[in-house]
Order: sequence, then C-alpha cells, then structure tokens
Amino acid sequence: MKREHSALFLAPAAITLGAVALFPVLSVLWLSLEQRSPLTDAARFIGLDNYARLLADTRFWNAFWNTTYFTVFSVTLELLLGLGMALLLARAFRGRALVYSLILLPWAIPTVVSARLWEWMYNADYGVLNYLLGTQINWLGSPAWALHAAILMDVWKATPFVALLLLAGLQTIPRELYQAAALDGASGWTVLRRITLPQLVPLMLVILIFRTIDAFRVFDAIYVLTGGGPANSTETLSIYAYKVLFQALEFGYGSALAVSVLVVVALLTIVYARLLRVRIA
Amino acid sequence: MPDREPGARRIRVRGDAAVRILLFFVGLLLVGACTEQSNSVESESTTVVLKHSKLFGDPRPFERLLVQFERANPGVLVRAESLPAASDEQHQFYAINLAARSADFDVLALDVIWVAEFARAGWLRDVSHLLPEAQRNEFFHGPIEAVTWQGRLYALPWFMDAGVLYYRKDLLAKHQLAPPKTWDAMVQAARTIGERESGMHGFVWQGKQYEGLVCNALEYMWSNGGEVLRAGRVVLDGPSNRVALAFMRNLITSGVTPEFVSTLTEEPAREIFGRGSAVFLRNWPYAWQLFEQTGSAVRGKVGVSVLPHFPGQQSAATLGGWQLGVNRYTKHPQAAERLALYLASPAAQKALALAYGYNPPRRKLYQDKQLLAAQPFLAKLRAVYEHARPRPVTPHYVRLSQVLQAELSGALAGLKTPEQALADAQRDIEAILR
Amino acid sequence: MRPLRGAGLVLIVAWSLAPFLWLLATSLKTAAELTHLPPLLPSAPTGSHYIAVFTGYPFLRIIANSTAVAALSTLLAIAIGATAAFALARLRVRNAPLILVAVLAVSMFPPIATVSPLFLAINAVGLRDTLAALVITYTTFALPLSIWLLTNFFRQVPVEIYLAARVDGCSAFQAFYRVILPLSAPGLFAAAILVFIFCWNEFLYALSFTATTASRTIPVGIALFPGLHEVPWGEIAAASVVVTVPLAVLAFTFQRRIVEGLTAGAVKG
Repeated sequence: MKREHSALFLAPAAITLGAVALFPVLSVLWLSLEQRSPLTDAARFIGLDNYARLLADTRFWNAFWNTTYFTVFSVTLELLLGLGMALLLARAFRGRALVYSLILLPWAIPTVVSARLWEWMYNADYGVLNYLLGTQINWLGSPAWALHAAILMDVWKATPFVALLLLAGLQTIPRELYQAAALDGASGWTVLRRITLPQLVPLMLVILIFRTIDAFRVFDAIYVLTGGGPANSTETLSIYAYKVLFQALEFGYGSALAVSVLVVVALLTIVYARLLRVRIA
Repeated sequence: MPDREPGARRIRVRGDAAVRILLFFVGLLLVGACTEQSNSVESESTTVVLKHSKLFGDPRPFERLLVQFERANPGVLVRAESLPAASDEQHQFYAINLAARSADFDVLALDVIWVAEFARAGWLRDVSHLLPEAQRNEFFHGPIEAVTWQGRLYALPWFMDAGVLYYRKDLLAKHQLAPPKTWDAMVQAARTIGERESGMHGFVWQGKQYEGLVCNALEYMWSNGGEVLRAGRVVLDGPSNRVALAFMRNLITSGVTPEFVSTLTEEPAREIFGRGSAVFLRNWPYAWQLFEQTGSAVRGKVGVSVLPHFPGQQSAATLGGWQLGVNRYTKHPQAAERLALYLASPAAQKALALAYGYNPPRRKLYQDKQLLAAQPFLAKLRAVYEHARPRPVTPHYVRLSQVLQAELSGALAGLKTPEQALADAQRDIEAILR
Repeated sequence: MRPLRGAGLVLIVAWSLAPFLWLLATSLKTAAELTHLPPLLPSAPTGSHYIAVFTGYPFLRIIANSTAVAALSTLLAIAIGATAAFALARLRVRNAPLILVAVLAVSMFPPIATVSPLFLAINAVGLRDTLAALVITYTTFALPLSIWLLTNFFRQVPVEIYLAARVDGCSAFQAFYRVILPLSAPGLFAAAILVFIFCWNEFLYALSFTATTASRTIPVGIALFPGLHEVPWGEIAAASVVVTVPLAVLAFTFQRRIVEGLTAGAVKG
C-alpha cells in the first residue's frame, strides 16, 4: 500500500485549532492562576490560591451540586427519550422525513427564544402549563420546583440532538446483521439488545460526552429562565462563573471556576469511557 | 461495488454543488469585507460613537437630536449604536470591551449602579470640569451622589427613575379608603379590598432574584430607618432591617402578595396591575404612560404616590436611571465630552422627556410649562425624586448586590429567617468590602 | 406493534411541536391578547408582527448574515473535521486517543470564559465586527463535535470495505473521498445539521464580536428588536418562527433526498 500521509489529513484541523483555540484556552488557564480585576490595582500571580478559595466557597459547592443534579437528570432523560425517538424513526415509513424535521424543531429554535417560551409557559399566573393542568404551581419562583423546571426545558430542547445522531447511527448499521438475525429467528427485543444497542454503544459514548459537556456548561437557557434564582437554587457553575467574570469583574477567580468545569467534565468523560468499556480509539 | 455506484455518483454531484456553494459564500464574505473597508476610509470629520441601551419608541426624535448636535459642531459626526435592553448584557459588553481598552465607542450610557465601579476600574474620564460645583444643584441630589466617586464626577446624569406606589384610586374611593401613608395602612387597604372584590391580588412588586429585588427591599429598609452602609461600615444586620425584611416575608405568607412574586420583574408586575388584577403596585414611573393609554383596562383609575413608610419614619425611593460617561480610551475626548454635555443639557433632556417619557434629573424642568402640559404626571414625581436615594455607591456594588439578592430571595422563599438572611448577608458583604 | 408505534410517533410529534405551535399562535395574536390566557388561540389572527419584523428593521440582512456564516462554518467544520476524522478512524496515527482527548478539551471550556481572550485576539487582528470573525470562531469550536462524530461514523463503515478499496489501488484520499464519505452520508449530514444549527443560534460570541448590522446575526438581532415595551413578544415570536422554519425545511430535505435516497438504493433495508 502507498504511504498514508496521516499528518496531511490531520493538518487542517491542527492548524485551525492551534491558531484559534490555543490562545483562549491557555489564557483561561493562566488567568486562573492570577488575581486580576480592573477593580484591584495590579494583576498578581497567586498560583493555586484561586482553587483553594474555590474549594472553600459554599457558593461554588452549591453551584456544583445544582449543575451535577441538572446534568444527571437531563442527560439520562435525553438519552432514553432520544433512543426511543430514534428507534421509532428507524424503519422507513411514509412521512418519515416530515416527522424527522418536526422533532428537530426544539433544537432548532434559538436558545434564548426557547427559554423565554418556557418562562412564559411556566408563568404561575397565566402560563399554559398551569392552565392545562389546572394547578397554581409557582414553577420558577419556588426553590423546590425551579431546577426541575429547567431540567424539563433542557430535555425538551436537547432530545432531538440525541435522536438525530442515534438515528444516523441506526441507519449505518450494516443490514447484513439484521438479516442474519432474522434468519436465526431472533425476537425484536433480542435484536435490540444483542445487535442494535451494542452497535450504538460507541456513538452513545460520543453523545453522552457531548451532552454532558453541554449540560455542565449550561448558561443561556437557565439564565434567561430564572437568572440563577430563587435563592441561587438554579445557579449553575457557568452562571456563577458568568456573574463573577462579567458582573463582579474578577477575571482570575472566574477563570478558575471555568477551569473547574473542565476538570469535572474531563473526569466524567473518563468515567463514561470506563463504564461503557469503550476504547476511545 | 456496483450497489454503491448510484449513491456514490449522487454524492459526487453533490460534492461539486457543495464546492460551488462554498465559493459563493466565500465571495459573499469578500464582498462584505470590501464594503467594510470603504466605510472605514479616513475622512476629515471625526465620528463619535454613542453606545446606549435600546430606546423604547420611535427612534426619529433621538436621531433629530443627534443631527442638531452635528449641525452645532461641524466636523463631528455622531453614530448611535444600541445595546440589548437587558442591563446585564450591557454590563457584560462594557466589561469585555473596556477591559480590552477598546476605543470603538466614545460616549456610553451607564446604569446608575455602575459609575463607581467603572470609575475605580479606570474606564471613565473624569468629567468634573463639565459640571462645575455651582451647576450641580441644578440636578437632584441622588443622581449627583451616584456619579461621584472620591469627590470627582465620572458621569453626567441623563435620566432618572425612582420607585413609586401605584394604586387603584377608584377602588380606594369605592371602599372609602385614603391612599396609604404607612405600610400597615396599605396592607389593611389591600386586605379590605381583596376581601370585597374578587380575583384581585393585594400588592404586587418585584421579588425575583435580580437587581430589582434589591431596589424593592431597600425601600422597605430605608423607610424604617435602616441602612446597608453607614460611614463605610456594614450595618445591614440591625433591628430596623430585620423588621423590614420580616414585613416583606409577611406580605407573602399573609396572602396580600401572591407567592409567585418571586418570579416577577417590572413588566410582569406591571401587566398584572394593568389588567386590573391588583390593588397596589410598586414600580418605576415608566408604567404610568402605559396605564393611561387608550385601551388600557385601568385608564383613569390609577393614582400614584410616594411609597409608604414605617411609623415615625420617612418614605424612601430607590434611585434608578442612566448616566452618560466618556470612555477613557476614546480617541476623541473633546468631541465626546461635548456630546455628553449636549445630551445632558436641559434642552436635550426636555426633548427626550417629551418624546420617550424619560424623566430628566434636572430640577428646573419639573416647572417647565410645556413639559408639564404634555406630562402632568411629572408634577407628582418631583417630590419623589427629591428624596430618591442611590444604592450603596461603591465599586464593589455588584458583588454586594449578588449577595443581597441571594439572601433576600432566600428569606422571601422561607428558606431562612429574615434574621439569618441578614446576618449571612452582613458577613459576606463585610468580607467583600474588606 | 404497528398501532403502538403509531401512537409513539404521534406522542413525540406532539411533544416536540406543542411549544412551537404556542410560539406560532403567539406570533399571530394581537398585542392585547399576548399576555392573556384564555384565549389559547388568537381570536383575530394578525400578521402585523411579521410585517413589523421586516419593515423598519434590517432583518433580511441579518438573516443573510446568519446564512452566510452558518453555511460557511458548517462546510469548513465538516470538511476539516472529516479529513481529520478519517485519519483517526482508519489510518495509523500514533497517539490517536490523546489527540481526540486534546480536541475534546477545547470544547470543555465554558464559552463565557473564552470570550474575553478571543475578543482580544479578534480585535488584535482587526476582524472586529466582521462575519469572518464569526466563521473562524464557529468553525473552530464546532471541530471537536465534528471530529468525534465523524470518527465514530467512519469507523462504523466496515474496515473490509476500506481495505478492499486500497487493495484495488486507491490512495488513502481516494478511498476516503470515493468510498468512506458516501457510505457515512447519514452521519455526515446529521453532523452537518447540528453544526449548522449551532452556528445559526449561537449568541454569546455573536454579541461580543459584532457591533453593527453589517455583521449581526439572528440571535443578536432578535435581542435588539426595537419595541414599545420592554419585550416585544409578538415580534420576537414572529421572528423566531421565521428563522426556525428554514432549519426544519433543511432537515426535511436532507433526510428525504439524501439519506433516504442512499439507504434505499445502496444497502437494502
């Protein structure tokens, strides 16, 4: 075989990422080691002090807990619902393309608009949800309900992402496998367990990783919905980092908070890979 | 292999189409880039950029104002760029740009709570010389206090706002109740009317966890003689404030205020009252015009007064509004200062008041016959504005506010007692200001 | 099985569509009815919000900006991502796992943290307020997703097919272009749609890097709608409907023409 020149294939991506992403990433890492704010006189290198402060910060742990809770429930529900949707659409039927485009709508609506839409639907006074359920629940204003309201909204929004990808994955499973199973007389459930799901596991890992990353970084949607309240019960790590960076103007500590997101997500990725027993390459 | 040919061929055709589409968009970008270039060709005149928050209303009166400035200042062009209406997004925009020492804009509209912060950060030019001591009395005291940092002026007051009490004067008259002067009287009136009329909330205000909550809460605390800072010391955790916060919580537990007040900001609260579903409303003066427009369900039925106070104390109103600052990194300081001065001048403020209902911070304009004829409401606001108080003027106000918002929200939701909330807030704020 | 599946389909369509229908209804309500409930549906549907969106506001220009940025970014992200993904999937690359993880790390940073340094960099090279700044940014931050997804989809193509092509005399690139790409079409287009939507709806970078309508995109345009009151719900709803429907049409076209065309013809189902 001729030489493969893998470096040439990797070059465009390497150049793009190197030229554009390297600087911000290194900046954030460096800033997290500094105390830097326009409200203090000079930027100082303080090593890991920001991280020490972070670990002792109750508001950090509150945000961490909120974010973890949000991520676990959102991602799990999205994965289950998305898989269900993909399976429903796997076999061709008349109008499949139409259904496909309709279920994509939640993902296609701009996040800020979707958040406002849900804010509206959750309105305690004249919201559609209370109207249809006949209840008076203070969805967004009670600490007990608010985070769950956010989870429901995120599940609605992001499930199409999962469904779309799983459907593409289902459509690329070699038909020969199914034909062989049919010849063997396997039931639908067995086919699902033994052929479909195992084939999808690598893709599910990718989806799980990216949905977790997105859920852990969630900002816009919840910020518009509740602003982080009531009583910081929906303040996620990104919202906290945003308030520290752009409202309190503490660029050093805010960057450390951002790095904490990176660390947690990286750890979760390793956990997923181990759990699913999938080699990354 | 043969099975794959048709699909592969289709992809190849699509591949060619993709390349063509790609070239088309590259072309678009290049055209776009070229037009950018021609716009930035150096011209003789200087362009001063004004960054302001979205205007609510017809943009033409504002444009006319700017054209007038251009005529009076030959060689200077003004370009007004608007920012999203949300205060947070504007603050974020300024933080990113000014931290990068951007000179892309020259004059900026600042929320009243940002001036000390931006001044401390070194982002604003000292404009004390634009408004000499003698002229400062022309403005209400509150806005001047808000734009002063360490004895110097860092912005010019542009328009102002203060909390007021709206009430249904028709319902009060019907049940022979006078407009309340104390908080207890208000609660009494709200209860009485609520019992006798159906489907009415007693009192709606802004209880969501955001800056507006602090504005609301301060009005209770100040009207009970309480304070956040006194002579640089944090005095938040004191008996007056505890009473005030307990009163706020009581509004909810007693049902005078609906539980979902914790989701209300200015507009949702205004809508509830504007629909005729509330007896009392705390909001900013902008709502008046909306209540009085044709088609409003409460047209002609609304009264306005200063907010109530606790017995033996004085009413208080939180100061809001916008100020004009000059970017310290501007390349055209003189032109920018002239623009700021112009927009803060009596003539410009009067024009803005007439066109957009923005309340001027200049005392004299509240006696202006033309303005009063167009907006008789202004006469009532004068008394309110004389006593409008700014929120604590410190560069760390935003951090302070975040702590307050969370603690107040917790107390209102019943997660903490008012005492606990104030004690925690006091501790955290002391740590911030240390 | 059939009725269960049918019920399931109806359910997921209703679940996905309902809020959007609410948005549509809102866009047709008169201003007075906007915040009232009942009525659920507009009693006197009006197109005034749609008209308001396009008159007195350069919304068409904004849509054009978004289209250009999203299309170009998607093409670049998929093209660059596909070549890299192919190498990681089928060529011998030392440290492939490490590369994948490093690429992933880029997308693990919250955008709010990276926006400031990026802004500095964009300013420094003079690309402020240009569409190019957005294209470069979006392409870069869409690459991790693109690379990971495409690596996975390329691996799903049986290795025998790739080897057969190489044995037949194709170079690696020819095998990539002629064999692997067509067979991963469903995955390619799924990735493309997702990247497109990401660019179409991205708000933070668009807000921070642009100043005037010359380079403004849709989400920022919606946020800056002039309105009489705080939030012009009617116009926002109308604008949202206008910008969302093309995405659905795009997805419909892809699924119908490309994916179904391929899977129907090439590999029997």
